[in-house]
Amino acid sequence: MSEHGVNSTLSEGAKTATAPELALQVKNLDFYYGKTHALHNISLDFPLRSVTGMIGPSGCGKSTLLRVLNRMYDLYPGQKATGEVIFDGQNILAPGVDLNLLRSRIGMVFQKPTPFPMSIYDNIAFGIRLHERVSSSEMDGRVEDALRRVALWSEVKDRLKSNATAMSGGQQQRLCIARTIATHPEVILLDEPTSALDPVSTARIEELLDELKAEFTIIMVTHNMQQAARCADQVAFFYLGDLVEIDNTDRMFTTPRERRTQDYITGRFG
Amino acid sequence: MTARRTPDSFRAARRRMADRLATLFSWCATILVVFVLGSILWTLLEKGLPGLHLSIFTKSMKAPGQNGGLANAIVGSLMQTGLAVLLGAPMGIFTGIYLAEYGSHSKLADSVRFVSDMLLSAPSILIGLFIYMILVAPFGHFSGFAGAVALAVLAMPIMVRTTEDMLRLVPLSMREAGIALGAPKWRVTCFICIRAARGGIMTGVLLAVARVAGETAPLLFTSLGNSELSFNMGREMSSLPLAIYQYAGSAYQDWVQQAWTGALLVTFGVLIINIVVRIGIRGGKA
Repeated sequence: MSEHGVNSTLSEGAKTATAPELALQVKNLDFYYGKTHALHNISLDFPLRSVTGMIGPSGCGKSTLLRVLNRMYDLYPGQKATGEVIFDGQNILAPGVDLNLLRSRIGMVFQKPTPFPMSIYDNIAFGIRLHERVSSSEMDGRVEDALRRVALWSEVKDRLKSNATAMSGGQQQRLCIARTIATHPEVILLDEPTSALDPVSTARIEELLDELKAEFTIIMVTHNMQQAARCADQVAFFYLGDLVEIDNTDRMFTTPRERRTQDYITGRFG
Repeated sequence: MTARRTPDSFRAARRRMADRLATLFSWCATILVVFVLGSILWTLLEKGLPGLHLSIFTKSMKAPGQNGGLANAIVGSLMQTGLAVLLGAPMGIFTGIYLAEYGSHSKLADSVRFVSDMLLSAPSILIGLFIYMILVAPFGHFSGFAGAVALAVLAMPIMVRTTEDMLRLVPLSMREAGIALGAPKWRVTCFICIRAARGGIMTGVLLAVARVAGETAPLLFTSLGNSELSFNMGREMSSLPLAIYQYAGSAYQDWVQQAWTGALLVTFGVLIINIVVRIGIRGGKA
């Protein structure tokens, strides 16, 4: 599946060398929590293999947008999205989309680390087993590879069979990232991935993002503007359910076009 | 300055006083409870231990003065409680899973929850009468099987409630994390939620066992009691609570002694289950 993804993007890349390729494209998206209109006519593009940071005050809709992108909102009756989200040439909001397959291609990491109540090894194997049949030796390799990529291998290689919930918070969050990339998704959604972590663990995760963007498209919600400035290639600012402004990170933090963006990033509100 | 300080220090003194009083009351209440429990255990040990011989486990109930045992009652209790768990646990646990994971707030789930909670507090003698009506009267004889069903009906709501409560303690983010990996709901339920809650669910099962192991009333109308050692669940069957009920009220010295010993066995059986539960919970957390 991932190989197929890489091949198709390579061939498309040859055709359209000038315009950036898009991993995801949101068109005229509206979102409702029951009668509450949470996102208003949002349109934005997520370029392939880049980091998009989404910022804005609490309740502005940035996490809501993230949960539209893997259709997580489907779990809750009464939540509804209209508009289009184009992924791999297909509108993923359309009925009949295979949600389990979609979520294996668009992974998600949450604010609080969510290790499953099983061993470190099984945490990673769980996701792989959902979508592929692999031999046990191949599984060992996949688990090791995933743990190496989040720089967790040397710390846990002697206790792969011990319970994942016994790890520190930062380790747990890296395990969750490893679990997500082990299934070879194309896009990774991160919902304030470091807000529950100490500064050292935060720095490690930020370094990790820098390495991962070579291979994955990363979309990250963050409350931390320095983090957005450090990690993101483009930044989108949301306010009260509107996408106020989206631009590349440098321009966003130096010369924003909108007054509201200026006020928010200089700390006048939010 | 002094005018302001006086009421402040007065208030502080009052708070200290209230704090000490509340602490004192808590201690007194605790000591009272521990004293009552301790005296029950002590009485049981004092009166029950002298009758605890090997013959209690090897011989069946006999006429007064014939040096009988409680083997038939012990076997009956084990078999009926065991079958009750085998019948009740799957239904109780699956119902709890339905309520927590699938029904949530549907009309059906709400009514199931209501009925289950009502059963939880229903007098056990009513359950006995109910089973008598459907499993004893139509067949024309009492049976260990009917007794086990009565116990299962009593045990089920306990397991429904604990299973649902324990699953609800599993954070929503854990379910979302499973869904986000592309896992179908049943896999998230089986391999993540139930796994996370299994210690609590097992606790519920064992607590239900402890609860029904000492029940007498529902067995009076269902398994009746049997002074012979019997492994046939299709016929009348003895059990420890019934033996205690029968013996404790008798006028014979040795029967009363055996009733005490039986009570000791039931109590310590339940105590051991509770200890196992506690160790299990601690093991599950580590």
